[in-house]
Amino acid sequence: MAGLNLNTITENASRLGMRLQETISEHTRDLAIGKTPGSTYLDTPEDKANIRKSLDSNSDREKLQAMKRLVALISKGRNVSEYFPLVVKSVASPSLEVRKLVYIFLLRYAESEPDLALLSINTFQKDLNDPNPLIRAMALRVLSGIKVGMIGGIVVMAVRKCAADNSPYVRKVAALAIPKCYQLDNNHLPELISIIQTLLRDRSPLSLGSTSVAFLTICPTRLDLLHQHYRRLCRTLVDVDEWGQVDLMNLLMRYARVMLPRPIVTMRADAGEEGEGEEEVDKDLELLLGCVEPLVQSRNPAVVMATIKLIYYLGPPSSLPKVVQPLFRLLTISKEVERCALVYMRIIARRAPHLFAPFYTKILVRADDSTPVKRDKVKLLLTFLNTDNYQALLREFIDYADDVDDQLVSESIQAIGHCARLVPDSTQQCLTALLNFIKSPHDVVVSNAVLVLKSLVQNQMRSTSISTSPKSTISIVSSLAYRIDDIRHPQARACVIWLVGQYAGVVGVGEEPKLKDVPGVGGGIEGIALWAPDVLRKTAKTFIQEDSIVKLQIITLTAKLLVLNPSDRTLTLLARYVFSLARYDLNYDIRDRARMLSSLLGGVLGGSLQGVEGEFEERDRGGVVLRREQVKLVLFEGKAEIVQKDSWLADDQAILGSLAAVTGREMRISDHYFPDWLEEGTESSLRDTEDDKPQVSVYAQATPARAFASSSNFASPVVLTPASGPSPVGSVTPATKGRYTDDLEKFYADEGTDEEEEEEEGESEEEEEEGEKSVEEEEGSEEEDEDEESEEESERQHLVRQTGYS
Amino acid sequence: MAIDGLIILDNFNRPIIQTSFQSTSPATPLLHIDAWTTALAKADPSPVDPVLHVDAHSACCHLQSGGITFLAVVSGDVDPLFAFAFLRTFIDILQEYFDAVSPAILRDNFDVVYQLLEETLDSSGHPLTTSPNALRDIVLPPSLLNKLLTGVGAGVAHQTPNPFASPIPWRKSAVRYNSNEIYFDIIEDLRAIVGRNGVPLSINVYGKVDANSRLSGTPDLLLSFTNPQNLVDCSFHPCVRLPRWKKDNSLSFVPPDGKFTLMEYRYAPGSFPLIQDASAGKGAMVTTKGSMTTSMTNKVQVPVGLKSVVEIGENGAILNFTLIAQTRSLEDLTAEFYLGKGAGGMSGVVVSPGGRWEVVNGVSTLKWTMQSVQAQSTHTFRGTFGASTTPRPSRSLHLHFTIPQSTFSSLKVDQLRLAGEGYKPYKGVRGRCVGEVEFRV
Repeated sequence: MAGLNLNTITENASRLGMRLQETISEHTRDLAIGKTPGSTYLDTPEDKANIRKSLDSNSDREKLQAMKRLVALISKGRNVSEYFPLVVKSVASPSLEVRKLVYIFLLRYAESEPDLALLSINTFQKDLNDPNPLIRAMALRVLSGIKVGMIGGIVVMAVRKCAADNSPYVRKVAALAIPKCYQLDNNHLPELISIIQTLLRDRSPLSLGSTSVAFLTICPTRLDLLHQHYRRLCRTLVDVDEWGQVDLMNLLMRYARVMLPRPIVTMRADAGEEGEGEEEVDKDLELLLGCVEPLVQSRNPAVVMATIKLIYYLGPPSSLPKVVQPLFRLLTISKEVERCALVYMRIIARRAPHLFAPFYTKILVRADDSTPVKRDKVKLLLTFLNTDNYQALLREFIDYADDVDDQLVSESIQAIGHCARLVPDSTQQCLTALLNFIKSPHDVVVSNAVLVLKSLVQNQMRSTSISTSPKSTISIVSSLAYRIDDIRHPQARACVIWLVGQYAGVVGVGEEPKLKDVPGVGGGIEGIALWAPDVLRKTAKTFIQEDSIVKLQIITLTAKLLVLNPSDRTLTLLARYVFSLARYDLNYDIRDRARMLSSLLGGVLGGSLQGVEGEFEERDRGGVVLRREQVKLVLFEGKAEIVQKDSWLADDQAILGSLAAVTGREMRISDHYFPDWLEEGTESSLRDTEDDKPQVSVYAQATPARAFASSSNFASPVVLTPASGPSPVGSVTPATKGRYTDDLEKFYADEGTDEEEEEEEGESEEEEEEGEKSVEEEEGSEEEDEDEESEEESERQHLVRQTGYS
Repeated sequence: MAIDGLIILDNFNRPIIQTSFQSTSPATPLLHIDAWTTALAKADPSPVDPVLHVDAHSACCHLQSGGITFLAVVSGDVDPLFAFAFLRTFIDILQEYFDAVSPAILRDNFDVVYQLLEETLDSSGHPLTTSPNALRDIVLPPSLLNKLLTGVGAGVAHQTPNPFASPIPWRKSAVRYNSNEIYFDIIEDLRAIVGRNGVPLSINVYGKVDANSRLSGTPDLLLSFTNPQNLVDCSFHPCVRLPRWKKDNSLSFVPPDGKFTLMEYRYAPGSFPLIQDASAGKGAMVTTKGSMTTSMTNKVQVPVGLKSVVEIGENGAILNFTLIAQTRSLEDLTAEFYLGKGAGGMSGVVVSPGGRWEVVNGVSTLKWTMQSVQAQSTHTFRGTFGASTTPRPSRSLHLHFTIPQSTFSSLKVDQLRLAGEGYKPYKGVRGRCVGEVEFRV
């Protein structure tokens, strides 16, 4: 129906347009503009003259057209400040449309052309009294944008006036103007703080977010001003607009960290393995945590993240499970949100991987993820790894090695290596997988697999040195050695050659007799594994074509084998060949290495190489000659200590919900550093306001409680407030309450009447209300008791703190 | 939390509109555009990292929509999620104003877009007014009628009737319609990964309820579903009263005027995590069995199966994909398979009526499309391609499809009650599914 209506309207309109086009010839130009305004806005000299003429004209229509052109030029990035004086004249235009555009123009240029803007400052001041809230807000925005220190006082006055405006929108703009005033001239600080105090009392939730921004910008350390507002701010949080929620939560989080006691966890003797203990959470902190909880259901990812951040940094350990599902939900919102949320999930999951592990299927890597997402997912999956899910995760990692993204391939292969280390049961499977990778035709797979295998072998050899048989480990080396022809990637090749040299002697001793028995094998070389000399033979043959990193390893291999068995004729010949090639290599690193090793071997070889030309003659030069055992020590020992650096858990310092965490780099450190808990929180009575007093006890018993509140104000050593007696805010609140009650509150209150219509639900609703009342009464009576018990109470708390978790 | 500035680029990465960047140096926008184009040139085949580190102070968060790139410049300790949330909101507003977002539309409406930018983002980078209903009072949406009226000089006198007068921030005051209607679209999105052996590794169904409200006055609605117990991880439009949902899973709200997303949810039948035992199984036999039982109890099944053979040779590969539609018929089915760098000389044949294939993204991606696929039918693609070295194709085939007039959760609206107004609204509900399945090959 409505669609039909709209159709007829547009149809009529276009018919009307057609007729007008035919009849009113003088307007054809405007109609054309009406159809494609953007493309015709060109800044030719002719056009400039036109704009000037239109701006000067008396017709609102012409002015509007001219303003639209100007705005279009601004949006194209052209500098149209030359029109400034002309535009300012139009600021008093009766047409709202024109004035709006004029203000948009002024917003853009007030900062760059402060002198011109100053000329019309009276107009702006006048507009602060305009009946239209939009114009009032615009006037304030322009006024606060003029960067001239002289007018600071005027601007502060304007802000103060707007902060008491009856439109919440104007109050919001006033709050946002406060940081600008402060930047202009920080001498106004005391006055601006008092404006913030006025704004904090605001009963409408709309401006609270901007007030938080102002607060955090100009006086982030004056959290004592919030005492009286804290509880109300917590309760109104849910009604604040989305962007305001983020800022307000940041403010409340800082307040809680500085002013409230840390949640105390007392470990019980019979506590479960999860570390569950009794938790003692301050009532005010509990209020905040309770109030933010519904916000994880916000549609805005920034709000959800701010909530998660608050729970993570303020909540006791038992509240952590609440953030798990919301975090997983963030991953599904969009690719961009997923990218950031994964980083945050890594930070949280490090603290409690067991909470996330059951849902690992939600972060399986998809082939179309972006590279950082893939990286973070693999790292997360690795964090979730435990004895229950390693089978599935290992299968995933193996799948990822086929990916087209080289970085994912290397991450996943390294993850397999970690898997083998973390879950000993999986070692055999991991090795099989890694050995399969070596057959891959793709360089990146092979080289990564070899690197991981190397570190695995090293680790295993170290941990299982003598106690268990290292046979399986050595079999890895041997299978690598047999495949030396297939391994083409220089780094991988160098790695294999190093492994062969390092472990050639380990088995040799054990396997020797067996090999001797095998007919037709030719016996091998005493003290060296069967495969090792063959690797040397093959690589010596291709020495010239090898990469320099491989060449270095070939020389080392030669030296090692020679030390293991200096008497073998073939080996000596091979060694001589390799060393003479290395001696004339183009790369001086290789020449150096060859010279160093050959002189090291001087003592080992003894007379066996006497007379051959080349390196070995030079040993007569004198100096210390090492014995064979010593050379062995030099060549073989101290190598296994290299531990692969664990980059997985490096980013411990990252702060949740910050740019630095996402980019992984140090961003500029801002003033909003995150405070740690104070030793002890401030007195909770500081936060008592008139509103919190239980209704029943107001007349009879409230007086002693209030007296206590005021006295504790003096007693508490932490308080920075110069407040004397009950805060002035508290006394003002009831008076302002009626005035500020917004329609929105009425609207929310209406919900109650709505519910009463449904009869069966009405009762439960009432019960709930009664429950709340009784809780409030209890709170009230507690406060009275506190007077006597407070000393004991604090002592007990102190004890708990000392013994318990901190 | 503040955004330093916003830049909108067209499909050739030329700036269309940008905010004034008053708090940063004049070179900032150029630096960020440059960072974006450089990253775009480098990234292939994987998508660009959404958060680009530009210099020691700032980073560039970007988002694409309708051929337009939106760059948000953030610095310091601002949460990039904040920037993305704002960009998303801003794009939604543009869509609301112009129905579609494209470079041409934005160019034609320079002035409106710029006004929107000024109203949604304060010069200090804090979002101001982002509720479409409130914005409509401040910035007039372009309409043919408006253009014509301003053209003949009749529209200038038109004043916006007192902006911000509404007591409810998200709803315009004094809305009047001749016929009062509200439409709900339940759109569900299946995202699944299916392993090599045909066992689903992960299946998730995410749904949302889009509404289009055309109701007069201040209607207070109560929407209840017949089967809401399987909806988890819900998120709501700010208009929804959360305590009510917690109490009896019904939605009580005063809707904004026009289009909006009422709620989003995940459909999770049963209380245990989906398909957990299948992927954590202990061997091939067990997993197959496990998936049988879980899919029986979970009811969510991938509505299509794939059998694939990819034989990789020295200088090319042979592909053979067979799609088997299950009990539902699908529409707009697209299968994409990345062939790897240096692939070429693709030739192939689709053995089914109405199917065709092409090579997109230069020569590197095979795209196989079918307009509609009947239930219980089989479709095959066979082909070969060559490569200069050993080809390294993707490890998975991506499948997109839609199923109109149906939802996975079979979520039903039970009733819609209205309070606060005298009329009886007409309600329309329809469902739609889209699917995105990754088959490992």
